[in-house]
Formats: sequence, structure tokens, C-alpha cells
Amino acid sequence: MESQIILILFGGFLLLMAIGAPITVALGVSTLLSFLYLGENPIKFVQIAFTSVGSFPLMALPAFILAGALMEAAGLSRRLINVAESFAGPFTGGMSAATVFACLFFGAISGSGPATTAAVGMLMIPAMIQRGYGRSYASAITASSGGLGIVIPPSIPLIIFGIAALGMPAPPAAVEEFGQFQTVSIPKLFIAGFMPAFLIAGSLLLMNYILAKKHGYKGSSEGWSARLIWCELYRGFWALMAPVVILGGIYSGFFTPTEAAIVAIFYTLLVGAFIYRELSWSKLFTALETTTWLTGRVLLIMFTATVFGRLLVENQIPAVIADGMLSVTSNIYIIWALVIFFLLFVGMFMETLATILILVPVMLPVAYSVGIDPIHFGVVMVCCLGIGFQTPPLGENLFIASGISNISIEKISVAALPFAFINTIAIFIIAYVPEISLWLPRLLGY
Amino acid sequence: GMADAKNFKIAVGDSGGSSQEATGLGFVSALEELSGGKHTATLFLNGQLGSEQDTVNEAAIGTLDMSILAINNVTPFSPTVGVFSLPYVILSLEDAEKLTQGPIGAELTENTINDAGVRIIAWTYTGFRVLTNSKKPVKSVADLQGLVIRVPKNEIMIDTYKAWGISPTPMAWSETFAGLQTGVVDGQDNPYTTINAMKFYEVQKYVTNIRYIFSIEPLIISEQVFQELSAEDQQIILDAGKAATAASAQFLRDKEAEIKQILLDEGMEISDPENNEEEFIKLATEAVWPKFYDSIGGIEKMNAVLAEIGRDPVSQ
Amino acid sequence: MTKFWYVIDNIESYICRTLLAIFVCLLFLQVIVRTLFDFSFSWVEELSIYMFVWFVFFGASYAAKKGAHNRVTFQFKFLPNGYIKYIEAFADLFWVFFNVYFVYLSIDFIFNKMNRFQSSQTMGFHLSWVYIVLPIAFSLMTFRVLQVNYKKIVLGEDLRDPDAIDLEEIRAETANPEQEKK
Ligand code: NA
Ligand code: NA
Repeated sequence: MESQIILILFGGFLLLMAIGAPITVALGVSTLLSFLYLGENPIKFVQIAFTSVGSFPLMALPAFILAGALMEAAGLSRRLINVAESFAGPFTGGMSAATVFACLFFGAISGSGPATTAAVGMLMIPAMIQRGYGRSYASAITASSGGLGIVIPPSIPLIIFGIAALGMPAPPAAVEEFGQFQTVSIPKLFIAGFMPAFLIAGSLLLMNYILAKKHGYKGSSEGWSARLIWCELYRGFWALMAPVVILGGIYSGFFTPTEAAIVAIFYTLLVGAFIYRELSWSKLFTALETTTWLTGRVLLIMFTATVFGRLLVENQIPAVIADGMLSVTSNIYIIWALVIFFLLFVGMFMETLATILILVPVMLPVAYSVGIDPIHFGVVMVCCLGIGFQTPPLGENLFIASGISNISIEKISVAALPFAFINTIAIFIIAYVPEISLWLPRLLGY
Repeated sequence: GMADAKNFKIAVGDSGGSSQEATGLGFVSALEELSGGKHTATLFLNGQLGSEQDTVNEAAIGTLDMSILAINNVTPFSPTVGVFSLPYVILSLEDAEKLTQGPIGAELTENTINDAGVRIIAWTYTGFRVLTNSKKPVKSVADLQGLVIRVPKNEIMIDTYKAWGISPTPMAWSETFAGLQTGVVDGQDNPYTTINAMKFYEVQKYVTNIRYIFSIEPLIISEQVFQELSAEDQQIILDAGKAATAASAQFLRDKEAEIKQILLDEGMEISDPENNEEEFIKLATEAVWPKFYDSIGGIEKMNAVLAEIGRDPVSQ
Repeated sequence: MTKFWYVIDNIESYICRTLLAIFVCLLFLQVIVRTLFDFSFSWVEELSIYMFVWFVFFGASYAAKKGAHNRVTFQFKFLPNGYIKYIEAFADLFWVFFNVYFVYLSIDFIFNKMNRFQSSQTMGFHLSWVYIVLPIAFSLMTFRVLQVNYKKIVLGEDLRDPDAIDLEEIRAETANPEQEKK
């Protein structure tokens, strides 16, 4: 029975994807067919449609998308990047290092990778080209660091992971073997993302230094300009306060993540309308409109992925997959390696949020059954998918970088290879040393 | 014969180690024993088959066999069972056993079949929802003032806190632990087993033994599924349910003392409300009961319930 | 196209922007009264969740209108452009099948299967008033799927990927260096 269901469910899913059906349709139709095959009434789809989407934590998704769009429209993003740029100074590869830092800054207010790439790339790629950096190099480093945006909190993929994982508790057998697992919460995931993001940023800076030295990308001859830095800090003050408000609000306990995003929206509206005066009604309507279709498309997947996951659970298929995996090996390092390569592979073709929604019900039980902490697993998963933004054929960051620099995606991909390589090494370190992810949440009492 | 052997799917809202699981395990073992190993059932813990409220609809439609869930998640589908959720109706485990297993319980079971299409076959006694908070010991209504208390999105609980003079914060269960940890809310109320299972002692310090709600969590079976069984199997299900109810009461008696000790060892402070809780009781019953007489079937129903456990009737 | 038809053709967008603006404001109000006055409106969370559900499903229909639902398309890379729209149209038949079946299920659920007492906990109205969004939005989405395929196949329009629209703007903005210095 299980093998036939697995065939219909996964076979139908892959076949529908192959003929170009939207991911949400591939999920929904393959699950519907499995229900009909099992002779079960699919009427539970109706209630799942309502309850999978109707949850308060999930409202953080449109709220962060809207906050990010407004920050872009209100000029907050640009000021943040100018601050990073002013620090570039006399170093070898300084401008490209500033790009990485700009992505770190911007990542702390934007939940999304492509949004980070677009905001940072728009200013930094032309600036790098102007200072003699190769076009493809400038695009590649931007596309690669744009993935940081989703690892540094706030992070839309971590929110989605958290919500998917909340519905997937540890199987009793795993609890018996490894003891209670910690509960998943979105603030906890956010804190856990910090150190890994800095490690990845460090790896990018290292590779940048090596490559910049090789290519001879020198810094400016004047050296640091304290005046310039001061000016940009002054101009960017209200923009720099945005991450303070968002993250500070969450960690000090003033707000839940959803509320923090809501507060960020109103903060940006105030700053954009009255201080920077760059926000107009038409920009506001555009931001609302973008939020509408982006949320609608992701959360329709949320619905179909939930029925997909429910079918898996009811037929205890994750246990079958976990047993299959454990029969091959129970070495946690090998399992991590398989997981990472699988995620990197999937990340090449699939949109990030859809990947998380589909794979959490399949992979998290496997992770539990070898004793992997769910928070740690979520961070590694999101890091892996962050690389997916810079790999063809579907690499959202690549598209954006290529659009800005007018260099072909193929050329940027080749130039981005060293960064993808060192990022992968960083991810292996993050996977093999759980403390990198788990130390900070524990230190802060989570 | 073995041809119609069943493996029932039982949705369980709580995690392993909870009272709900104890009822479920009691039911499964009694079912296997009474049916001579023909029938069995699988527990899906932690709400894997959907939220507790969703499972009522699914059982009603017949797409789910059974579910163990808090009574206040049945109330929206069959309002008369709401009488058990009213504050200070049940003041002890013995009250709870008497009400659920006597004629009142039978009548409510009948109502639930008619209203919601599900049949209550066993009762989980999870105990009183005690109040915890991170700020200060609470012994009187006055102590409560200024605390931000999380409640489920439940009218009765919200009204009760309002009767005590504070406006509680409705918050999703999934956000509660983080909310307590970061201080978005100061406190919450839940039975001892839940407080222990959720490790609330990591983020809460003071416990107050208020008794405003005795948490009852029935095991329901889809009436459609039940009616498709042979008369013999129906009897097996009902008997297994009785065994599960007994197992649940035993579990509570064994566990509560044990858990109190664990919480004390974890550094929590436990106190009782002053004056045998009189002020809490008076404010809550006067403000909340009259609002719900209609939905539970009239003031006569309320008085029938009170009479059954030997308490004075109320008047309009 | 007249203004009237433009609004009708983008009806989901208008509905969604209104809902989004309202629930964002409601939640902000809730944060403000809680942090400043230690007070909560018990109905805000529930009402905003219901508005959010409406927002999501109408938003999904709007995304369908924009052709924004993600597909995996790298396997078509070596196919002539003319064929792709026919293959995708065939795939969309499954979408239509799914939606029609789902609309049937949701109508059956709302009108025949739903419990008669199932109401909002804090506001009292019956939840079928919230669930009704499902048949409406999925019908509308089905119409959008057909509309998009009609435009692509019969009218021969080339619907742009909405993800790529940002890119055009970025190009335009970066082509104008004045914008950077502003
Ligand atoms: Na971020
Ligand atoms: Na990719």
C-alpha cells in the first residue's frame, strides 16, 4: 500500500512538474489522486485550506514582504547601502567587501534574498564597475551575498520553516532514543540564524579577498574618509534604526515576530512620509499590490503542501523514508552530507519557500530519527537554499544581478562558482558543528 | 471474522506524556484486549492530524475515526457541553467523575451526537488549569492586577479574567512559549501536566492553584464510523472507552503530586488563593454564568448540574 | 478599456489591498493598545486572521491572473518557444480539474457538512461566512487560468513573468545615475 501511494504521490508530483504545471498544482493534484486511489473522501481539503492559512504567525509573511517593499520605496534601503559603501575605503576588494556588508545590513531588515540582491545590487554593482571591478565579478559577489538576506533574521524562509516544523513534532521513537527535542519557535530560529550567517559572510569575505588580490581590485587611494562615513551614518540614521526596532522589539519581548513586522511597516511609513519624504501614494499602492500576489502564490502552496504533508503523515510515509535512509547508513555526518547535497540540488531548480513547505514533512522526521535538533536543521536547510539563489537554472539572485549588469547569467554563474564553493564548505561546518547555530539561542535563554 | 478488523486513527492534540495520551493508550490496550486482538488503533500525537477543532468536523463528516481533545473545542459544535467549561462548576476530580459518568454526562453525550455528529466514549480528566506567571505570587484578585495573561481564543476564559478586572491577551498556543519567554505576556493558565510537559517552569516562576476550570478532554468517535460497526463491536468500543476513562482518572491521581514536586524542584513557587478562593469564585460566577445560561440550555440545566454535585441552586 | 472594466479585471487586487491595509492597521492598533494601555481587543486577532484568509485566496487568484504561480521550466529550455505555451496549457487542465473539484467540495462542505453551531468565538457570526471565500476565490482563479491561456494561445499575447517586472525597473533606474545621488 505504502509503495503504491509513494508512487502515485511522488510520481504524480514529478510528472506534473515536468510538464510545467505550477508547483502548487502538482502538489494538490497528486495528493487529490492519492486520496481518490485510497478511497478516502478529499473533503478534508476544504478545512485544511482554511486552517493551514488561517494562523497568526503566518501573517508575518505578508507583513515582512510589505515592510521590505516599503523600505525600498521610502529610500531606507538605499541609505543603508550608502553607509556600507562609505566604509569600503583603501582595502583590496574593499568595494566588494562593502557589498557583503551591505547585504548583512539589508538582510537584517528584509526577509528575502532577491529583495536584498536587488536593493544592494542596484547601487553597488555600478559602483564596483566604476572602480574597475570586472562586471561579472561584481554581479557574482552581489548574487552570492544576496543569499545572506534569507539567513540573517528576519527571514521569510525561517518563518515558513518554523510554521511547517510546528506541525511536525518528533516521532515518539526518536524522543525515546534522544530525549525531548527543543520546541520550534520563530524567535528562536531567528536567533539561531545569526552566527551561521556571519560564518557564511566571513567565508565570502575570505574568498573575496583572495580573488580581489588575484584580479588586482585595489581600494581608493585617498584612504578612509571619516567625514564621508559620518555623513552617511547621519543620513542613514533612521534607516539604521529599522533593524534595531524590528529585532530589538522581538528579542526584548515587546512584540511577536508578526507584530514586529507590523510595527516595521508603520515605522517605515512614518520615516518615508515625514522624514525622508520619498514615499508617495502610488508607491504605497504598488507595495500593497506586490505583497498581494507574492503572498497569494506562496500561501496557495502552503495549502497544497499541507494536504500533501497530511497524506504522508496519515500513511506514516516519513517513517518509511527514515527507515530507508537509516538502513543505508546511520552515520550522522554521512546523513548530513546527503541532506546538504540533496538540498543544494533541489535548490537549483525550485523556488525556496515551496521547497521548504514540501520537504519539511518529508525530511524533518528523518532528521529527528537520527537525533538532529530541529532548530539546527532549519538553519542548515535555509542556508542551503540560500545558495540556490545563486545557482542556475533557477537562481533568482542571478536574474536580478544579470539584469543590473547586462552580463549573461552563464558568465555570472561561472564567476559565482568560487563563492558557491566556499559557501558550501561553510554550510558543512554549520551542519557538523551544531553549536554554531544553537549556542546563541541558549546563551540568550531560549 | 478478521476480515473487518480495524485500525482506527485517533487524533491526539497533545504530546507524549500528556493526559490525553494516557487516555488514548488506555483505550488502545482495552480495545485490543476486548476484541481479542482483532481491532487496534493508532495515536497521532501533537495535532498531526489537524487542530483539535478541525478534528471535530472531520469526525462528523466521517473522514477521521476518533479524536481526543479539550472539551472547549467541542463546545463550538455542541453548545450544551459548555456547562463543563463554565468557571467553578467543577471543584474537584470527584465532581468531574460524578458529572461526566452520571445522567448529566449521558445527556450531553446524546446532545453531542445530535448537534455535532460525534459520540463521546471516554473522558480525560486533566485537572484544574492553574495560573502561572513570571512576576509575583498571586493569592488574591488584587495580586492579579497589572499582569498580562495569555488565554486561548475562548470567550469564557476571557470573560472570567475580565470579571477579575484584567483584560487577558488571546494568543495562539504555538506562540505561547515564546511569548512567555520574551515577556510579551507574563502568565498563562494550564493544567499541571501541560505546564510540566511544555517546560513552562523554564520561563515561569509562580503557580497559583486556582480552580476556575477543570480541564476535561473527551475521546470522541465519528458517529458515522460508530454506526457502521456491528452491535458487538459497538459494545467493545464503549467498554474500551469506560476503561480509558478509569485509566485517565488513575493517571491524574498518580501524576499530579509527582509533577508538583518536579515543579518545586525546578524552582517554582506554588501557592493557594486566600480565603479558599472565595473572591475569585464570587466575581467569576456572578459575571460569567448568567451570560451562558441560554447556550447550555437554560438556568434549569445549570441547577440540575449543581444539584448532582450537591451545591446550592442559582436564581435568575 | 474603461475605468470600470479595469477595476473589474483587477477585482482581486482591489479586494486584497483593502483587506491588507485593514488588517495591518488592526494589528497595529492591537500592539499600540497592548503596549501603552495593557489592554487587548479580544476580537482583533480573530477578525484579522479571517481577513487574512480572504486576502490569501483572492491573492492566489490575482497571482494566477498575473501568471505568477511558480513552475519549473528549465526542462523546456531547448524547446521552440511556440510549443511551451501548449504544454503549459495542457498542464493547466489539471489545475482547472483540481479547482472545479475543490469548488464542488467546498460548496458541499459549507452548505451540507458544516456544523450549524460553528461560529466565531469572539464575534458570533457563523463561520460559513468566512469559508465562503473558498468556492468564490477558486472559481475566480479557474476563470483566471482560462483567461491567461486564452490570452497566450488565442490572442498570442506574451505574458511577462511578474518576477521579471522588477528587473525592468531596476534597469531603468540604474540607467539613470541621477537617481543614485538623490
Ligand atoms: Na533577512
Ligand atoms: Na537555483
